Amino acid sequence: MKRRLYIELENCIGCRACLAACTQCGGHEQRNRNYVYDINPFVDTQTMPLMCLHCEDPPCARSCPAQAIQIHESGAVLSAMAEKCIGCQNCTIACPYGIPKFDEEQNLMYKCDLCIDRTQYDIPPMCASVCPSNTLQWLTEEEIENKQRRHDLDNGKWVASMPPLENETNVKINLPGILQGTEKLF
Amino acid sequence: MPKDKFFRDIENMHHPDETLVKTHCSYCGMQCGMNLRVNTKTNKIIGVEPRYDWPVTVGKMCPKGVTAYQQTNHEDRILRPLIRDDASLKGTKEGFREASWEEAYDKITDNFKQLQTRYGKNSLSVFSGVSMTNEKCYLTGKFARVALGTKYIDYNGRFCMSSAAGGFLRSFGVDRGSTLPWTDIHETDCLFIAGSNTADCHPTSMFRVWEVQTRGGYLIVADPRETPIARRADIHLDLRPGTDLALANGILHLLIKNNDTDDAFVEKHTNGFEETKEVVKSFTPEYTSEITGIEKDKIIRAAHIYGKAPNAIVMFARGIEQQRKGVDNVSAYTNLALVTGKIGRPKAGVATFTGQGNGQGGREHGQKSDLLPGYRKITDPENVKAVSEVWGIDPEEMPEEGVSAYEMIELMAQKEIRGLYLLCSNPAVSAPNLNFVKQALKTLDFMVCSDFFISESAEFADVILPAVSWSEDEGTVTNLEGRIIKINKAQEPIGESKPDWQMQVELAERLDRGQYFTHLQTAEDIADEFRRATKGGVADYYGATWDKIDKQDGVFWPCIDEKDTGTPHMFLDKTFYHPDGKAKICALPYRGAGEEPDGDYPLYLTTGRVVYHYLSGNQTRRIPFLSDMAPEPYVEMHPDTARAYGLAHEEAVRLTTRRGATVFKVKITEAIRPDTLFVPYHYGHEEAINLLTNAALDPISRMPEFKVCAVRMHKLEAEKV
Repeated sequence: MKRRLYIELENCIGCRACLAACTQCGGHEQRNRNYVYDINPFVDTQTMPLMCLHCEDPPCARSCPAQAIQIHESGAVLSAMAEKCIGCQNCTIACPYGIPKFDEEQNLMYKCDLCIDRTQYDIPPMCASVCPSNTLQWLTEEEIENKQRRHDLDNGKWVASMPPLENETNVKINLPGILQGTEKLF
Repeated sequence: MPKDKFFRDIENMHHPDETLVKTHCSYCGMQCGMNLRVNTKTNKIIGVEPRYDWPVTVGKMCPKGVTAYQQTNHEDRILRPLIRDDASLKGTKEGFREASWEEAYDKITDNFKQLQTRYGKNSLSVFSGVSMTNEKCYLTGKFARVALGTKYIDYNGRFCMSSAAGGFLRSFGVDRGSTLPWTDIHETDCLFIAGSNTADCHPTSMFRVWEVQTRGGYLIVADPRETPIARRADIHLDLRPGTDLALANGILHLLIKNNDTDDAFVEKHTNGFEETKEVVKSFTPEYTSEITGIEKDKIIRAAHIYGKAPNAIVMFARGIEQQRKGVDNVSAYTNLALVTGKIGRPKAGVATFTGQGNGQGGREHGQKSDLLPGYRKITDPENVKAVSEVWGIDPEEMPEEGVSAYEMIELMAQKEIRGLYLLCSNPAVSAPNLNFVKQALKTLDFMVCSDFFISESAEFADVILPAVSWSEDEGTVTNLEGRIIKINKAQEPIGESKPDWQMQVELAERLDRGQYFTHLQTAEDIADEFRRATKGGVADYYGATWDKIDKQDGVFWPCIDEKDTGTPHMFLDKTFYHPDGKAKICALPYRGAGEEPDGDYPLYLTTGRVVYHYLSGNQTRRIPFLSDMAPEPYVEMHPDTARAYGLAHEEAVRLTTRRGATVFKVKITEAIRPDTLFVPYHYGHEEAINLLTNAALDPISRMPEFKVCAVRMHKLEAEKV
């Protein structure tokens, strides 16, 4: 059953377990490939994880002159192939979120590969596995549709990848603060 | 065990040439399930894998858990015993030399014997901790009383859990940190969380907490800071530090006024309601608001929601417990559950978030000055007899009750205690009023410290013994639910390090008390004796065999025999542990903090944790990821406060209390009351906020008031002028 990464932004508690977990995934060589931002640190404690959204038509891959960024059949946009990457950093510039990181020593770009060594066997990516606040979830299409119903806006658009961003994404994000349809139990 | 809604069958990732060892995290009371990845060629731990089959945490881990395995083969590990011959260097890292185990043991036994010959048995003391297995905690209590024969043993749970214990004992007659399993939490209708920064301190509870709201339940949070959990709460009761008792009394007043009490339950199963009614009569919303500083309407709304909730759980942590009235605070919040009858059934009850890994088990099995294994009282001759039989000693030999942790330190300063065996604790960071504590440690004639890194406290030792990390030994711990779980060995001890229990057996032999210890050659030997020692006690672990723990995903105590599967929910038969079977609703008049702000010290100071560090930070400050995320302490303050003092973000300020002064960087955030400053406590030496905290002790639990004192703040430039 196909599953996707789903991000429920307002659950984030800023613990950065996702960053720590990212370093533990096989092949990630202790380097994390995701980010967590303090949204307004002088005001409150709200934080936000920023993960690669794995665009269906990814600008990082399209902008790569060496075709070093491959797209897995599951939709995961993989990290640069070491033998092809020329270290030009076009991908970082092209990505609307600045996700790809650059390793100066190896002259090599690296980015989230959605833990492809895990997700191709339907094991959740490390970030979603450990996320203690359920901000990052690994859900089936059906589960995402159920979530979507609760987050639907009047205009029917709810994911962060709606225009003007690049096309559709394989990672889905809820819109924070919109929990429509939650009725109090009493 | 029923699978909850978070439970999903996921195969574990299995890398080639690796074994996965099922175990639990080394840190807080959540004891999250995890798999340690062990390389089959080198037999070394090389990483971590989530443990999806663990019902409490279903693979979830916080950043500490994810990186915990990095302790085991860390370059700072102590690999051989260390001796320091020059006592003038105490309190520094200098002067240690490597020694053999024989030399270290000889030095320890010579000094211990000499001190006891000259000054009596009670000149020695044992100061321990509860990040150890139940087996180690048990043996440490036996070692102090049988091998050393001293009454002075106590533990760092006095800084962490003893107020919760005191409150539960008074209200229920039994202290189990949670009356229900954690897998119930997300199914309740209302969570009332007081004095707990759950997101930072127990992050892997958060998915259940948010689920309550997602289902349409309510979340009420009482905290002086707008922590992540308070930020999303339906009601945030932003009280002044140290006023929790007034808030709980105020809510109780409203529950009575709104007729939200369960009169049949109160009548049949409790005592003390009439007196309590009298006490809370004056706690009108207006009066409660005046003391706590919370808007009246928020108090009214919170009481209404809790009162009307079909099921509700009251949860709390150090925020209410680390006060000089911590026991009263715990009983006052427990009152809410008792008067409404929201206890003794699934999805409703009371729970405390346990700070230390084995905060629960560690306080039940004889490390506390007043307790013997199984929660037996050392002052009760029948209890002493039962344990003496298991230990094979004459009951007459059992030392009497000693004093609490901080009071032991006071006796060190007075030279009544001359020697110290410190293990699994770092009071030079975690105790209050540190200038005094450090002086007391320096005053000791002889000190042994067992640890796996050189802690700030180890710097005061004459001999340091290399202990093993949690992953190099096995045994049981009791998590915050009261669930006894199994820690498994993933790697052989590195260098010449040894488990504490083995050191104690070997030291006991050299102290001529081998006959009581030499039969204990494995952790399982100790487990068997330990279970027998708890048999018939309040905390009865007799039926919790290692085999049963494995088969059942943990066993909740009490578990009295082979057939008993344990007790996940307490008081289902509405019988409490007081002799008449009734719980006690406690009448608790309000009293203020030990130190309130005044003209000289105009602000409140409160302390707490950040998610990246555990307790005194001796372990987590060495892990690169955690250290990078939180490299130094800071003083959190409201923008209005910063403006009033002319301070900018990250500027340095000096904080001064009646006990000391130290410098921190400013962190500005609206997520705190303007009259309150907050500093995390995980840092050592000059960065330790406990240089400033107040050692005012709770009269029952003897827990210091870490959570509130009066403080003065100076901008450093202004001070020079």
